[in-house]
Amino acid sequence: MNHLRRIFLKFYLLFADSKVEAELEREIGAHLALLEDEYLRQGMTSEDARRAARLAYGGVEQAKQLHRDERGFQGLSQILQDTRYTVRLLRKSPGFTVTAILMLALGIGATTAIFSIVEAVLLRPLPFPDPDRLVTLGDEVEGLHCASCAHSSVTAPDIRNYMRDTQSFSHLGGYRGRLFELSGAGDPAAVNGTRMNGEVFAALGVPPLLGRTFTQKEDEEGQQVAVLSYGMWQNRFHGDANVLGSKILLYRKPYTVIGVMPRDFEFPLNPGHANQSEFWLPLSLQPEEFTAGSAASWNAHMVGRLKPGIAAEQAQSDANRVAQQTIRDYPDYMRSLRMHAVVTQLQEDTVRLARPLVRTLFFAVIVVLLIVCANLAGLLLVRSIRRRREIAVRLALGARAGTLLRQALLENMVLSIAGGAIGLTLAAVALRVGVSLLPQTLPRINEIGLDWRVMLFALGLALLTGFLCGLAPAFAAIRTSVNETLKEGGRSGASGSGHARLRSALVVGEIAVALTLLTASGLLLRSFEKMRDVELGFRPANTLAALYVLPQQRYATQPAIDELTKNLLNDLRQLPGADAVGITSFLPAAGNNWGIAFVIEGYVPPEGAALNMASMSLVDGDPFEALGIRVLRGRVFTESDNASSQLVAVVNRKMAEHYWPGQDPIGKRLRRGLPETSTPWMTVVGEVDDVKLGPADTETMAQVYQPVTQTVASEGPLASAGELSATDGWIVLHSRMDPEQMEDTLRATMRQIDPQLPLYQLQTMEHAISKSEAPRRFNTVLISSFAIAAVLLSVLGIYALIAFSVALREQEMAVRIALGCQRSGVILLILNSGVRLAAVGCGLGLLGAVAASRLLRSLLFEVSPFDPGVLAFSAIAMLLLAMAASALPARRGSSADPMMALRGE
Amino acid sequence: MSNKEKESIQLLQGTLDLIVLRTLATMGPQHAYQIATRLQQISDRLLNLNQGTLYPALVRLEQYGWIKGIWGRTASNREAKYYEITKAGQRALKEETQGWRRMSALVERLLLEES
Repeated sequence: MNHLRRIFLKFYLLFADSKVEAELEREIGAHLALLEDEYLRQGMTSEDARRAARLAYGGVEQAKQLHRDERGFQGLSQILQDTRYTVRLLRKSPGFTVTAILMLALGIGATTAIFSIVEAVLLRPLPFPDPDRLVTLGDEVEGLHCASCAHSSVTAPDIRNYMRDTQSFSHLGGYRGRLFELSGAGDPAAVNGTRMNGEVFAALGVPPLLGRTFTQKEDEEGQQVAVLSYGMWQNRFHGDANVLGSKILLYRKPYTVIGVMPRDFEFPLNPGHANQSEFWLPLSLQPEEFTAGSAASWNAHMVGRLKPGIAAEQAQSDANRVAQQTIRDYPDYMRSLRMHAVVTQLQEDTVRLARPLVRTLFFAVIVVLLIVCANLAGLLLVRSIRRRREIAVRLALGARAGTLLRQALLENMVLSIAGGAIGLTLAAVALRVGVSLLPQTLPRINEIGLDWRVMLFALGLALLTGFLCGLAPAFAAIRTSVNETLKEGGRSGASGSGHARLRSALVVGEIAVALTLLTASGLLLRSFEKMRDVELGFRPANTLAALYVLPQQRYATQPAIDELTKNLLNDLRQLPGADAVGITSFLPAAGNNWGIAFVIEGYVPPEGAALNMASMSLVDGDPFEALGIRVLRGRVFTESDNASSQLVAVVNRKMAEHYWPGQDPIGKRLRRGLPETSTPWMTVVGEVDDVKLGPADTETMAQVYQPVTQTVASEGPLASAGELSATDGWIVLHSRMDPEQMEDTLRATMRQIDPQLPLYQLQTMEHAISKSEAPRRFNTVLISSFAIAAVLLSVLGIYALIAFSVALREQEMAVRIALGCQRSGVILLILNSGVRLAAVGCGLGLLGAVAASRLLRSLLFEVSPFDPGVLAFSAIAMLLLAMAASALPARRGSSADPMMALRGE
Repeated sequence: MSNKEKESIQLLQGTLDLIVLRTLATMGPQHAYQIATRLQQISDRLLNLNQGTLYPALVRLEQYGWIKGIWGRTASNREAKYYEITKAGQRALKEETQGWRRMSALVERLLLEES
């Protein structure tokens, strides 16, 4: 109790010391007076009495110091005193202080912002209990080289088999995300939802916020129940606590709401903002999903929780056993397919594709921070050189080196903590604005923010930065030789060669890392340019696109569907300004699809070759005209290619060149499936240009087009009983008018045909392309802005260095000029010293660029990480900038007044 | 500060508090000079200390809340800070005294056995 009181008082006195000090002074004074009185009484003279009193009392200052040591925490109070001193000093040089703090704030702010992305996307454990026990289970189909497949996938029969026959999982379930038409209240809308087994909720282990989740039993019974996300509950039900029991209409089928998940629950962990599941329904696999083509469609995913004590490898071999049985049971039409099971940590599966981008960003921002550090260290060095005399005097007066070191470090800490605080604010602002600009390829975006880990990181970073930046100048300061410095007197000669070397090294380092970043940025810009140059294979101008999906409830038969499609095409064609209208199952630029397997007549694949995969677009109307896809050979489809006529196909150039190199593809035949699948042949009637279905920087796939009316016939045994075709599609409309004006017309036309049918993702093709370019644009812009910051900072660094050394050598320059040196000679001399540093820095920087190439390679497109043009351009730009930065001080140096040399001393 | 002096202070650390408390308990409010004089009397000048060395003990005891300083006037009408023992100080004195007795008895026994 009393001890606590004392500790508190000792802390308190750190801040209220002056009163106590005054009181002590008074008390000592009184004490001395009493002693003096006593000695006077003993008959001493007043002079003697005073001396005797002092003697009896002992050293007044020592007593005071003992008192201070006893009453307060002296170490702390010393630091506090030093801090006050530092702040006072810093306030005296506001230019330096503001520059240093702003630089630190920018460096720390940028690093913190990027780190918060790294932390949320890569480092933070998944938001489920015991996340490292969660795994995904998927098939790797042999011969299917699917680089763009983000997540391992399974078929419907796989889900059944794995769930039934594996023993390594305490819970295991399958899920499939898709777009749903949500109707009922207000306009119908397209909403992302996920069908999943009841077991998935059990595996994830997150309890609902309201109500309950559905069970595996309900799933198997096909109950029409739904669990809402927090977002959907808030937005569509206004957070109504009585939402349980109400109904939502999905594709016009009613589902009862039985639960609401907590705010931070997100599953599947899809990249981007827009793709998050808004509700969860039972998977309730239908019988037809186990047969025909559905059994060979890898369009679902599985997630499970490992049983305690079971490792992922064990689970994988367990699942593989089941997979081998599944293969033995494959129906005849897919007998030759081989695959094996792969078990991956859910965390790994989630972040794999995002990793290169996030790592590169972090690397870039660290480079900027390093340059900030080097610049700051340079500034501090200059400061300590300026203060050499002061330091020498203090050393001469008996200041301990430790004290000087402590004060130097403290100064940096004050700077860096101030910079860190401002930086953190900047980061908070940047994140608030910036998260919405993040590319849709990053998962877990909603979790990005400044949490305590990020704060801790920023604080640690600030302290570390301050410490490291301050170390060199601090040691430089205490190494100051008292004699030398004082002997130099008022002369500001070319002093401190050791410091100059240190500063040069800093500037060389800065230029090196800045150049590394500059080349990275150059390579990315070049990649972006290359992407813009890619022949997309279609004409985006004046073209509108929109997706529709027909609800089975309303369009249950093929004639009903065909009638809608026919009306739609007819009505759109008659719109004023409409040039060409078509429907296609895959929209160029909107996203890759992994395609289906084909058999090519007469094509003998080389040993161990991949499956013959091609993307299959089902079309109606005139999509080739509407999209401006060039016909290279033969013809495209007409009205007469229908369900009852000969099966036909159009292939793209890549397909033709791959399977029939040097031949005319017209008249060649191909069919769906594997060799053992007894599907009918389709005859190639035309060849068209390659079209980019995904972003322009992805590989073009082999493509096959088919009239949608012939789908079922061409599928043979792959078609399930009663299969409907043309249940969804992208409308593509090319017009002579401004496409944005056509948007309303398109919507109105659709409303006339079916007032309840919503159009999704209505957009111009230009917009679709821009969206597909967004991820690359994002990293290019961000890394380029880092590079610009880095280059500016390093140029500033070289400028400061040269300017300072010129200032120091002003007299030397004056003497040179006085002795007859030409001014141009002086300029050359100074320029030379700047360029020499820059050249060394550039050499190192190019090495750095080579070292960074591995990191960067995955982000480049059609550009080698050693692209000589980019490397040379960056290096030359850097050199020129360095030269420009040295030119200003050089001019000043050359204008040194020779009279100064004579008068100066 | 001489080494000898430092030793004396260290020696005193534990006992000085006790002596000050005891002095204030028996003699009523005292100022630092009086306490120092008293200290010299009872130590019979064995501990020849500067009077200033008393101050850390005073501030320590005050921070513990065992004594309280109040400004007053001496008989010769000089101002002086009088220290007074508090209730908590009385309790502490009792505890410290007992502790000290136990300790000194222990040391005494130890020394007896050894001789």
